[in-house]
Amino acid sequence: MKTPKFMRADWFGPFAIVVVASVGITIFDRPFLSPFNIQILLLATAVNVVVAMSQMIIIAIGQMNLAIGAIGGLAAVCFAGLMQVWSFPPALAAVAALAIGAAAGLANGAIIARTGVSAFIVTLASLSIFKGADLGITRAQPFYGIPASVKAFGNATMFGPIPWLALPAALVIAFMWRLLYRQRIGRYILAVGGNASAAELSGVSIAQTTLWAHGLSGFLAALAGVMLVGRLQIGQPSIGDDWLILSFAAPVIGGAVLAGGHVSVFGTLFGVIIVAIITQALVIFQIDPYFVQVVLGLLILWTVGVNRLRELRLAGG
Amino acid sequence: MAETSLAARGVHKSFPGVKALADVAIALRPGAIHALLGENGAGKSTLIKIITGVHQPDEGELTLDGRPMRFSGPRDAIAAGIGAVHQERNLIPRFSVGENIGLERLGGGRFGGVDYAALNAEARKWLDVLELDLDPRTPVSELNVAKRQLVEIAKALSLRSRVLLLDEPTASLTPQESQVLFGLLRKLAAEGASLLFVSHKLEEVQEICDEVTVLRDGRNACPSRPMAGLDRQALVRLMIGRNEQIPNWPPRSVEGQPTLLELSGVATALGHSGINLKLRKGEIVGLYGLVGAGRTELAKCILGWRRITAGELRIDGKPRRIGSVAEAIHDFAIGYVSEDRKQEGLILDHSVLENAGIAVWRKLAGRLGFLRDETVRARVGPIIAELEVRTPSLSQTLGHLSGGNQQKVSVAKWLAAQVRILMVDEPSVGIDIKTKAYIHELLRRLADEGAGVLLITSDMPEMITLADRIVVMDDFRIKGEIANSRQYGPMSEAIMAHIHHAAA
Amino acid sequence: MKDSGAVRPHEAMTSGARARFAGAVLTNEFGLVLLILLFGMLFALGTRGFASPFNLFTLGRIMAINIMIGYSMMVVIVTGGLDLSVGAIGVCAAMFFGWLSQRLGLPLVVTIPGALAMGAALGAVNGQLIVRSGLHSFIITLATMSVFFGFMEFVTRAQAFRGLPPAILAVGRMRYFGYVSPLLLVSAGVGLGLSALYRLTPLGREMLAAGANPAAAELSGVRVKRVIVQCHMLAGALAGIAALMAIARTGAAIPSMAGDLGQDWLLPAFLGPVLGGALLSGGRVSVLGAFLGSALVSELTNGLLQFRVGEFWVQTYLGLLLMAAVLIDLARRKLVARLGVAP
Repeated sequence: MKTPKFMRADWFGPFAIVVVASVGITIFDRPFLSPFNIQILLLATAVNVVVAMSQMIIIAIGQMNLAIGAIGGLAAVCFAGLMQVWSFPPALAAVAALAIGAAAGLANGAIIARTGVSAFIVTLASLSIFKGADLGITRAQPFYGIPASVKAFGNATMFGPIPWLALPAALVIAFMWRLLYRQRIGRYILAVGGNASAAELSGVSIAQTTLWAHGLSGFLAALAGVMLVGRLQIGQPSIGDDWLILSFAAPVIGGAVLAGGHVSVFGTLFGVIIVAIITQALVIFQIDPYFVQVVLGLLILWTVGVNRLRELRLAGG
Repeated sequence: MAETSLAARGVHKSFPGVKALADVAIALRPGAIHALLGENGAGKSTLIKIITGVHQPDEGELTLDGRPMRFSGPRDAIAAGIGAVHQERNLIPRFSVGENIGLERLGGGRFGGVDYAALNAEARKWLDVLELDLDPRTPVSELNVAKRQLVEIAKALSLRSRVLLLDEPTASLTPQESQVLFGLLRKLAAEGASLLFVSHKLEEVQEICDEVTVLRDGRNACPSRPMAGLDRQALVRLMIGRNEQIPNWPPRSVEGQPTLLELSGVATALGHSGINLKLRKGEIVGLYGLVGAGRTELAKCILGWRRITAGELRIDGKPRRIGSVAEAIHDFAIGYVSEDRKQEGLILDHSVLENAGIAVWRKLAGRLGFLRDETVRARVGPIIAELEVRTPSLSQTLGHLSGGNQQKVSVAKWLAAQVRILMVDEPSVGIDIKTKAYIHELLRRLADEGAGVLLITSDMPEMITLADRIVVMDDFRIKGEIANSRQYGPMSEAIMAHIHHAAA
Repeated sequence: MKDSGAVRPHEAMTSGARARFAGAVLTNEFGLVLLILLFGMLFALGTRGFASPFNLFTLGRIMAINIMIGYSMMVVIVTGGLDLSVGAIGVCAAMFFGWLSQRLGLPLVVTIPGALAMGAALGAVNGQLIVRSGLHSFIITLATMSVFFGFMEFVTRAQAFRGLPPAILAVGRMRYFGYVSPLLLVSAGVGLGLSALYRLTPLGREMLAAGANPAAAELSGVRVKRVIVQCHMLAGALAGIAALMAIARTGAAIPSMAGDLGQDWLLPAFLGPVLGGALLSGGRVSVLGAFLGSALVSELTNGLLQFRVGEFWVQTYLGLLLMAAVLIDLARRKLVARLGVAP
């Protein structure tokens, strides 16, 4: 019997793992699927999903963005700082922070497109530039003056265990899905990642597509930073320091091909959830939390190896 | 329909060190399928690149329906109505058939999405023209090679191409798939398109093409003319020519010499089977075949780059398993002058000294593992000088040398390594005549001094000049073997006979 | 980042002494020396503290460590790869050293080679994974960075080792002539060793060949896979040396010495070689260049701090420097190619 189509989709594997893992853990630890725990999971997932999407869009075009943590951190402290120091209303501060993130991303994209220098080096350099600015503005001290409304948005629930923070995350997921599967610019991003020379022959501007991808990536990184300020309830300059591994792990688990041209929005979402579950499970079973890093790294190695085998088999066809 | 659609006249094109095209002309007619023939290095790919706008000619003109054309890039050519289906796939693997065909016209605007229904309907039109029963929503990666190629043709048609260039279209197709393709091409021609069919498979070219242009050594071996009156022999003769003087070298005999290399019933991971080959000390064995016969692949398997899956390989009479290229080179003194000089034969960014010495570094290292440049120079310098490589110094970056001098360095590398078995693959492609003659003398001298040379070339005069025995290959099998009488006429007939039997 | 300027051999090449002079002046190394001297004078004249023996001593120690980190990355770049785990490997080596010294009480003759062996072993893991999977070193080392660091934290429970043998701490405090640290001499010595490797040994030459054109190298008898594994082992050992120097400087083996996952080392790891003229595509090396590049970066950092620029902004300037260095080098290569001077 041939596997039904939906089971062969990228998201199905991670989805199955989420289900199996949840059931498995609940057997050992009843409160795992309690409303309280689900809320914790969703809060963690909400921000991480946006982080993962920020990297995923760059993976789609066949590049890498080392600076998403730095952009997110910079946007976060700008958001907090504007509210605390200049008494900006939260909405305005958020818009400004998002604009900063988009601008940072566009700068990266512009340099990559114009000079042909590899994305690795450009984003490594900009990582330092933005991180330094982040630390410089704050002198490594967090901003504590976060308005109550922001704190509430970052932690309160809409209904049941679903936090408000899930709303922007859900919007981002919907937006990315539509962008990559229905919008022309999204298709161009995937085309350039899939076969840049063929795309160029068909009139796709690699430079413009690069700009769009990096601009969006910066915007999403900034959004994640802003959301995190709400959740943590302080404007922490260290926001973003630990985003790098996760930003690659989730899309890769979700079936992304690092060479570009193929990513899965829902696969990435379930990848994020898997990581959240693993982290939670390690805490519940009182396994050393440092082990998370090891598991994440091994997970990346495993899935990248599997994805590559799949790509090789496809290319032979 | 006698008017000309696409024509080129007086085209000249040079690259550093080599003149690729000299006064080349071609003329296509609407409704005709036109063959472009020529061996490796004849200038086919340069002409194709000029027609598709990748290169601009140094001199000469391109006209379409009589109007002069200047293409500053591939998109200009596409816009002018010249569609090309190349050997490498120009499709986005994960995209659907419909989206690949319609990639230039995705539409969608800022907020409206891509209208996939319309896109697929449009694609459906072109698939119908080609009588392809495919769902436009199928991802291209799920299609086999034949269908992917047809999708590219559909795409070219959808861009209103009136000239369609197909570069080795049947390279990865089964005979049945090729027949389907031919039926389509005939239909397209009947509807007024001009088709340019580039292939090395002469049987196919004879079957489907109405007209032909043959290139040789960068010039027209024949002007664009109808196929009528040209049989296979005539075509091959045009392609390989007989404008070389065969030097009057004394005959050689290798009777009684020990066998250096022997293959018995060898099959390889690359698709060879039943290969029997013998190379004696002091002998030059030629491996002749048209492009695609599997000769380079056989050499690489002997070199240990890919596995031998059946049969026996003997070196000096002893059966051996060669597990890696390094083993072949360092343990068995086998060398290989690659046909792809720039990508596989040489490291263009490195110096002459570094390139020439690479195979002997390990051998030359002193007791403590150190190896000074002087030591390498002492070994390699005399060889470079002897080969008369024109370079300001041994530290010169190899990429700055002419093609002929680069090739000399490529050979020097193996001379320095004192190989006993040297496989030489298309040594004269893109090389000037003088260097070519020099390399011929060099190979002969090498054999005289006791090495065994396996010569792979599609250059018939070169083969007849050098080889003591000629083995004919086709389709990854050996088709026949002849001793070389060094009489050009009879020899070329005999070799052709083997090739035609193969193709029959 | 392949050099896009193709030089035509039939065009006239500037000949003789003028070419040699142009060639020498346009070299990267000369430019770096010039910049080091220029900035040195600027900082010495402009601030009160820069030229003091104490500051130069401190600067020397930091330089030594950065140079070492730069070497570790340089060795991998030469073969055309990237190593994101350089910091993680360094920290693992450091903590292993701490454990051997403090917990097992072993003498320095054992613990120092032990630390280097740990670095080499972790490098071997990287190399084998890369060679066997055929995947790009970026993603492999991104993953192993996480695995190595996580494992280290798990095993050490993030506790620092502060009871280390006095000998190694003494080395950190020693001063020659009032301001040269022996650590700097070690870096210079290692640099000479690496130069010897690339210029005088078959392995070094093969590494350059494998980086420049792996296919051609393979067909010329180079065991490319083995060479890549050995290169990663070397990188790991060099990271180990850097870590030992850091221990000598701070007096303790601290898990957070290279930041989270060791990522603090990434910027100096790239800055040195890139300023030194290494091509990310591999095949070329300038050990002297990497030395000077890291030295320049350390000098700039120190000088900026002396100018009270604010330690937090230093990272920004370094990022701008990396960006500028890459772009200038791109322009320099194009200029050299156009002049027809052999690079």
